[in-house]
Amino acid sequence: MTARDAILGKLRAPVPLDLAAQAAALVAGSERPPETAGSPVERFAARLAGPSVSATLDRIDDASGLPDAVRRYLAHHALPATLYLPPDSRLTSLDWRGFRIDEAVAADQMTALAVAKAGVAESGSLVFETDASAPMLPNFLTLHHIVVLATADLVETIEDISVDLAEHRAHYWVTGVSGTTDIEGQYVRGAHGPRYLHVVMVG
Amino acid sequence: MSFGQRVDLALADKVLKVAVERTAGTAEAKRALAVEAFPAFEDARTRAAAIKDHVIAHLGHYLEMFEANAIAAGAQVHWAQTADEAATIVVDLCRKAGAKSVARSKSMLGEEIGLPHALAEAGIERVETDLAEHIIQLAGERPSHIVWPAMHKTREQVSALFRAKHRDPHVEETIAAMAESARRHLRAEMLGADVGISGANFLIADTGSICTVTNEGNAELSVVPPRVHIVTAGIEKIVPSLPHAIHMLRMLARSATGAALTQYTTFYTGPKREGDRDGPEEMHIVLVDNGRSAMAADAALKEMLRCIRCGACMNHCVVFRQVGGHAYGGTYPGPMGAVLTPALDGLSANRDLAHACTMNGRCQEVCPVKIPLPTLLRGWREKSWREGLEPVSMRQGLGLWRQAVLRPRLYRMASGATVRAMRLLARQGWIARLPFAGAWTKYRDMPAPEGGTFMAQYAKGRRR
Ligand code: SF4
Repeated sequence: MTARDAILGKLRAPVPLDLAAQAAALVAGSERPPETAGSPVERFAARLAGPSVSATLDRIDDASGLPDAVRRYLAHHALPATLYLPPDSRLTSLDWRGFRIDEAVAADQMTALAVAKAGVAESGSLVFETDASAPMLPNFLTLHHIVVLATADLVETIEDISVDLAEHRAHYWVTGVSGTTDIEGQYVRGAHGPRYLHVVMVG
Repeated sequence: MSFGQRVDLALADKVLKVAVERTAGTAEAKRALAVEAFPAFEDARTRAAAIKDHVIAHLGHYLEMFEANAIAAGAQVHWAQTADEAATIVVDLCRKAGAKSVARSKSMLGEEIGLPHALAEAGIERVETDLAEHIIQLAGERPSHIVWPAMHKTREQVSALFRAKHRDPHVEETIAAMAESARRHLRAEMLGADVGISGANFLIADTGSICTVTNEGNAELSVVPPRVHIVTAGIEKIVPSLPHAIHMLRMLARSATGAALTQYTTFYTGPKREGDRDGPEEMHIVLVDNGRSAMAADAALKEMLRCIRCGACMNHCVVFRQVGGHAYGGTYPGPMGAVLTPALDGLSANRDLAHACTMNGRCQEVCPVKIPLPTLLRGWREKSWREGLEPVSMRQGLGLWRQAVLRPRLYRMASGATVRAMRLLARQGWIARLPFAGAWTKYRDMPAPEGGTFMAQYAKGRRR
């Protein structure tokens, strides 16, 4: 007998016909943290600014202003105008004159740009998925992570993210910078990944 | 070494208590704030327990569903009945991949199946990427907490360790500088690994996805670059679908660190897809039983399978806070460890664990899935008694006590005499040494009894 059969053999139990309905009922009306005051954008902004996310936020009217917004951020942190850009036409089609654009991410890459699929007001999370235009590694490797989010893609709660996990290799939520409390419980930013998270909301 | 000896060592270690207090104290305070900001938390706990109970009742069904969906997504699923089987599967997969080094993202199941040891025996270099696990690896120790494995180390100890072992260690004596030193040291090793190994916080049955959560982002850095990703997960990690996982994730983060969500929450469904820019070519998922199917069938233990490994029970345990995690001896410390270890490693060698509990009930109050930990511990005490595992001295002592309580007058006389004798031993209201209880008074003083026995005071009260 294989290990599989042995394990499943011990776990045999009748499966009720309405099992799926039972499972769905278990999460109907799941408790959520109460909504704080303000519009979704305000709540999202407040979450970003809070201690557990500690991201900064910039807002621009339309995507053409993105290179300037990035320039402002890099200047503020006295960083070189060097940037990893994912092969996403929404980004590559913009005017990046004056920047050095890297198409591959280096182990010591300083800054990477990425487009979030959604933002979540409840938690201040940014939602990403991998595909041909969206690699994953750069978002975990660089010290500065700049994320572009369309205001229209902001949702209220985590359940509101539209997602089919089967469609992409990875689906992930970034809710803050890479941090650790592994030494004496004291919080330190920038454990292995980004120490700075900067969100540029468009629209 | 026996549990008693380990506790002796722990209590004599003054640095340990300071270190444990710093982290557990912070965690306790942060959880309290998070729960205060979530008024429906109590109902959410009830729901979380119900979700887990539903899964445990239909574990076989959901595992088959998970397996089918994971395979459809291109992953390979392996099953292991025991810890050894699981470790062997992982080592064989590493060998097949021609791996010289593996990047490992902390998972308690990996510890449970003895993966660090198995990889070492196979001559495969292991790069621990979680900062705490890295500290433990450098120190050659075992984790002492399920969320903060290096909780027992002070910053001074970590600093000395990094200075001795890192290529380019920190200059400044701050925790931030130490974390930076680890970042420098680990990056190249992490990116050069041939295989990435992670655990899974949840297995999503209806899509075959696995979910990892980390604060450091080290899981992603460990499993995205290598050609092969191996996941080891206990079979109880299953949830029916993403909405169930979302509920559990809200509970997990608040109970563990007090955050609304852990910084990085990632769902992986199969290996790299056509056109993807990164990700592994192969994804293997090892489903590990190691006693869990037996627990699911045992009415006295099955609630333990609800556990989501948040660590809240140990952070709030008066015993854990005194002795730290190593004293428990097993992979899992604290209240949940005291319940799990006898189930995983056998009761006879671990019967002491169930006694290291004051039954104050704090663990049960904070557990996000409402596991009645004190009740489960009492179950082990009873089982140990029934199976004759308690030592002769305990049996005889209790026998004598039983004889005495069945004779109230004798009992009252004896307890009255004890109270008088104890007062004679006291200095300024405290007793530093008690005959027959030397072990107890070794680390604490006993307050001297005031006003006689309960029965004597009761009688006085009635006369008044
Ligand atoms: S027993 Fe409960 S409190 Fe303890 S680790 Fe498990 S889920 Fe958390």
